[in-house]
Amino acid sequence: ERLIKKELESIKEQVASPNTTMRQMKEIMVRAIYCEMLGYQASFSYIHAIKLAQQGSVLEKRVGYLAVSLFLNETDEFLLLLVNTVLKDLQSTNLIEVCMALTVVSQMFPKDMIPAILPVVEEKLTHPKEIIRRKAVLALYKFYLIAPNQVQHIHSKFRKALCDKDPGVMTASLHIYLQLIKENPESYKDLTGSMVTILRQVVGGKLPLDFNYHSVPAPWLQIQLLRILAYLGKEDQGTSEMMYDVLEESLRRAEMNHNITYAILFECVKTIYTVHPKSQLLEKAAECIGNFVLSPKINLKYLGKIPPYDHHRVSGPL
Amino acid sequence: MFWIYSQRKDMLAAISPILGVGYESLLTAGGGRENCPALHDALDFEITMIKFLLMVNKQGQTRLSKYYEQVDIEKRPSLETDVVKRCLSRKKEECSFVEYKDFRLVYRQYAALFIVVGISDTENELSIYELVHNFVEVLDKYFSRVSELDIMFNLDKVHIIIDEIIQNGHIVETNKNRILAPLLALDKMAEAH
Repeated sequence: ERLIKKELESIKEQVASPNTTMRQMKEIMVRAIYCEMLGYQASFSYIHAIKLAQQGSVLEKRVGYLAVSLFLNETDEFLLLLVNTVLKDLQSTNLIEVCMALTVVSQMFPKDMIPAILPVVEEKLTHPKEIIRRKAVLALYKFYLIAPNQVQHIHSKFRKALCDKDPGVMTASLHIYLQLIKENPESYKDLTGSMVTILRQVVGGKLPLDFNYHSVPAPWLQIQLLRILAYLGKEDQGTSEMMYDVLEESLRRAEMNHNITYAILFECVKTIYTVHPKSQLLEKAAECIGNFVLSPKINLKYLGKIPPYDHHRVSGPL
Repeated sequence: MFWIYSQRKDMLAAISPILGVGYESLLTAGGGRENCPALHDALDFEITMIKFLLMVNKQGQTRLSKYYEQVDIEKRPSLETDVVKRCLSRKKEECSFVEYKDFRLVYRQYAALFIVVGISDTENELSIYELVHNFVEVLDKYFSRVSELDIMFNLDKVHIIIDEIIQNGHIVETNKNRILAPLLALDKMAEAH
């Protein structure tokens, strides 16, 4: 502990010194991050983190932004000082700087300053580079989370993102849509067809190969889509009927013996049980769970967690 | 290594058909919620998210911490030590998911390092379990067989990588090339100076 206190003293001295270069400041900032990670506050370095983000060269700037994201939280007044820097970087010709500015905005941004930055972020939605479009969508997702009324007028742009030719941008829009659909499924039932189509394409291996994880196509995206479908199909027979085929297909395809396919299966089964019931599908899902449950390595503690009214039925096959 | 969804009320509801309890009867007889509270609870306005990500070694030294929910800085070390203790006390046959306070821990051990992710009740544990592995594969790619020392000496870079994968407690990118692209571009620019 003494070591850390000494380290903090040293950092305090160095950040205050006028002779410290930005390059040195970057190293100092990482040390400050370490101290805070071990539980020792280094609040005297916060303002310098912002300065680093403002004045540093690209890598130094990124570390400055990183430090800010780790040190501060949404309500900190210091965050206001960052807004100008972020605005400047968002309009930089250097795409790396635009990316990092969008990343920071997605992590934390003062609610009241959203109007100042919204038009600039919106503009990025039509940028030729997919990474910028994707990060812009994620920034807007953040804005939706902290101030939904501020982004009411751009829902049509979310639709465009959903239909973006790049799968990364489309995936980013799903975060917003999951939230929107969760809150108000009725207004988004018309998206069911699109969601089903996207899932079908992903499961069918239509994405570029680098979206695969251990030969499974974009598993986390599949899970996201399955969650969305669950909300859309819940207590709605008509909508549920649109998804039975793709749910069955997902069940079938995820048959490999790998953790991640089990993760997808789990989510798929959950969705099948959430939406309007279809007996064949329920049977297939039950079979699937049966395979989980009857696996030889299963922990029998499981049985103890079954609700009381089921206990007497458990005695049999299991 | 297998796992249990015993704590997952919604999974229990899914299991009931095998046990001979009809899904429809659960939902319709005498009011759905009473007979199948599990399924209904799971769908209520749940928050599904990652709460934190930790890399802690067997001695309890935190090598990296990232919080997606506000936790006071003074409280973090004790939380982290406690979390590691829980993970260390698990036997080999037990599953990698632990109930902790009002959320869950998903942990994975790589040599002497534990990667622990705290998640809300409704997050898909297995998907997070594999996300951790995907993350380690990304680190392996960047550092060519990553070690604990790599993480200690490149804390900022590891953070930058995580920033590409998880934002606001949600998974935003899992494509390894896309995760590494910004960092590689940064490296290139830094070299040029």
